[in-house]
Order: sequence, then structure tokens, then C-alpha cells
Amino acid sequence: MTVGRASRAQLVLVLAVLAILHFYLRPRLWDARVSPDFLMVALMVYAMRSRPGDAAIAGFAIGLIADALSPARFGAGALACTLVAYAASWGRAVFFADNLLVNAGMIAAGVWIRNVVVVIASGASQGEFIAELGIYGPLQALITAVAGVLLLLAFREWFAIRLDV
Amino acid sequence: MLRASDRTFSRRDTVSFLVCLGLSLVGLFLPSAWGESIAATLRDSALTPFVWLQARAEEGRTSRSRFRAVTAERDSAAFAAQFLPAISAENRQLRSLLGLRDHLHTPYVPAEVLHQSSPTDARMLLVRIAGPVAPFEPVVSSDGLVGVVSSAGHDQASVMTWAHPEFRVSAYSADGRVFGMVAPSSGSSGTDAGLEFRSTSYRDTLANGTEVLSSGLGGVYPKGIPLGAVLGIAREQAGWERVYRLRPAANPSSVTHVLILTPPQAASVAPAFPGDSMLAALRADSARRQRVADSLLRFRIADSVLRAHARDSTPPVSPAASQTGRPARRTPVPSVPSAAPAATSAPVRRTETGDSAR
Repeated sequence: MTVGRASRAQLVLVLAVLAILHFYLRPRLWDARVSPDFLMVALMVYAMRSRPGDAAIAGFAIGLIADALSPARFGAGALACTLVAYAASWGRAVFFADNLLVNAGMIAAGVWIRNVVVVIASGASQGEFIAELGIYGPLQALITAVAGVLLLLAFREWFAIRLDV
Repeated sequence: MLRASDRTFSRRDTVSFLVCLGLSLVGLFLPSAWGESIAATLRDSALTPFVWLQARAEEGRTSRSRFRAVTAERDSAAFAAQFLPAISAENRQLRSLLGLRDHLHTPYVPAEVLHQSSPTDARMLLVRIAGPVAPFEPVVSSDGLVGVVSSAGHDQASVMTWAHPEFRVSAYSADGRVFGMVAPSSGSSGTDAGLEFRSTSYRDTLANGTEVLSSGLGGVYPKGIPLGAVLGIAREQAGWERVYRLRPAANPSSVTHVLILTPPQAASVAPAFPGDSMLAALRADSARRQRVADSLLRFRIADSVLRAHARDSTPPVSPAASQTGRPARRTPVPSVPSAAPAATSAPVRRTETGDSAR
């Protein structure tokens, strides 16, 4: 293990905390459509620190959970999360994964792309697509990115996050 | 240049990605019933702790605004309930005057909505139920119709809301003039999600604000559940039909507690379908009645023959008798011959008794 990098146990611990936050804290917050998606934060944090194949499998699993809990079109969430996680894992070769703003940007982009892909794959109308593209998607992406930044700041020693922007 | 181990990893990554992508596409193009079945299985097995956790979080969510909303709903319900006894009594009297039976009371199962952060949350809701429910049972909130149960599990169910593209409900305007079908708006002309009142007659026009209720046709949704209010005319199709835009009565995105209406306990319909023993008894009774009718007919024929014979054997009236005005002495009518069976008299008496009894 590289010094300063999250070990597997630490990563699993953070992912478990995020899962609990998603199912216990998020319902207590405001409207569900624009509340932070902690599962997507967990997926992006994991994807940016693992190989593309592992990230794709994790994305598929997270998407399957989303499909089971909100089965508007089964498979849409799995498809979207697989694509996003695989792309995020390849993206770490291009961007600096230890930069806080890069992490925030990757999380926001991941949530927004996930929402757009889900809406398209589930056969939404033009009105729904425009609303998701321009209103709800960016709002949820921004809020989720803020939540991700707070989490990374809390565990910055484990993830070796650089604070110099 | 990639080392051999890197190439292996890269190939493995690609294979993993393609397998996941393929499985996702298979899930996407599965029949919807299969997809819902898989989702229900996952919810009832691996995701049970997470669903339970979220249900506890929903129970503990006591924000001030939510408390105010629940209090307002309670006040409205209490105010409406003040007039309920008088209205019920009046309804009962009118029903008895018209000879109608009592109104059916619809039982319900309360449920708690577990909202997800998915963009399709408004279309399909996950609810935690407090009793057994089944697919195609309507889901209502205090405001109106929310949707219908799509699939049901052990302690949770998924609900297809009115925003789902496949949602349809037969409806009529509150004034009873216009019937049609309510469906989610196609959204081709704007970004607002809402309902449309379609297939309405062209000759009638609904004013804005007119309430639209479920008609009860089709047997899924009971009659009288509020669906929405008319906002205006969405489009007209060549003088054939008029489509109205509706403001939905219930908002699936913000609803927290719902009621799932279960079918009422129907009375037994066994008397309408008699068993073999009852059918045999009915057939025996019918045969007995036929025998009685036949014997009665024979007796009447014999009686008419005797009367005709007696008429023919009557001697002609003498002129002297006609002059004095006294009737001629008639030949006595013989008694009923043995041709009329004695046994026939008994069934006849039974028949007359039976008829008089009826």
C-alpha cells in the first residue's frame, strides 16, 4: 500500500459510511430529487481509485440497487452507472485524482451524466428530458459534489487529498 | 509500451466492462414483468436491510414544515368529519327511498413512501406497506389519486404513479357531463409534467377549474377519486375530440404517506351457482309439475268429452212445454265414468292446493 493512499479497509469503511448516509441521512433531508446521492459519491470515489474493470463492476452493482429501489425501467440505472464508473476510472489517467476540485468536478459530472442516461434509457418525454438536463440534473449534481467535497475533506488523510487549488 | 501484466489487466478490464454493459442491456430489454420480478426479489433479499434503514429514517423525519402540513391535513379532515354524520344519515334515507343497498366501504392498507434520488422517482415509488396488497390496487393520498400498485413484496411494494407513460384511468367531470380517459401528458409541447383528459366529446366544453374524478369503469379504480382540475384546452383534433390539460390533484414527488385501497370483502355468490344436488332437486320438482299438468289436462279432456256427450243425449223440448213456459225435464247426467281415473283426482287437488298456496 502506498503511504497516504487509502487502504482497502479504509475504502470499505468509507463506502459503508456513505451507504448508511444514503439510506438514513438522505431521507431526512429536503426533496429527494435534489438531495445528495451518497451512493454516487461512493461509486465515484471508488472508481477514481481502482481499475476500470473493477469500477465497471461496482457501477453495475450500484445501478442494480438503484433499479431495484426505483424500477421505472429495469436496467437503465445499471447501464448508466456502468458507463459513468468506467469512464471515471479511465479519467483518473487524465486528471489528478488527488485534487479536491477535480474530485468535485468528477462527482458532479458523474451524477449529471448518470441522470441524463437514465432519463434517456427509461424513455422519458421531451419535457422530462429538458427538465432533467437543465434543472434537476445540475442541481442534484452540484449538491452531491458539495457532499462529496465535505466527505473527502473529512477523510483527506486517507485519500491523500491536496488542498492547494 | 504496456507490460504483459498491464495488457492482461487491460484485457480483463475490457471484458468486465463489456460483460457489465451486456447485462445492463439485457436487463433494459427484458419484459417489464421480468424486470419487476427481479427488482422485487432483490428488495426482498439483499436490499432488505437498506429498505428497513430508510423506513426508520422516514419515520424519524419530523421537520417543522412536515409537522405543519400534517396538522393542516388533520384540521381539514376534522372539519369535514363534522358534517359527516348528517350527510351519512341523509344518504341512508335517500338510498332507502330509492331502494338502493348500502354503499360499499373500501378497506385500505396504509403505506409509507420511500423516495429515491433517482431521476425516475416520480414515476415509480417504493412504499413500505403495513399489510398484504396486490398488483392493480389503487394508491391514494389525502389529495387524490397517486397511482396503482405495480408489484408487491413481503413488506414493500412498487407503485406506478400517474406520471408513468403507461398510466391510464377512466374519468368523468364532476358535473357528470363529460367522460374520457386521463393519461400523463405527452410533454411534446412544454416542460411541465401533468395530466391530460383525453377522448372527451367535442360538443361539451369544460370550464377551467372543473374537477375530474375517476369514473369507476374498468374495475381498478373506485368511483369518485379526485384526479385533477382542468387548466385549459391542450389541443383539439379536427372537430373530433378535445384534450384538456389537468392540474394533478396529488404530487407523487412530495407525498409521504399513502393509502392502498384493497377490494371489499364480497358477499358469497354461491347461491347464484347451485350445486349438483340443488339442480337435481330442481329437475325432480320440474318433472313432478309436468306430470301434474299432464294429468290435469287428461281430466279436463275427459270432462269436456262427458259434457259433449250429455249435451248430445238431451231430448228436444216439447211444444207443450214451450207453450206453458216450464222447462223440459232433463235427462240426469250420469256420474263420472270409471274412464276418469280415481288417481287423477288426487294430483289435481294437490295442484290446486299448491297453486293457492303460491
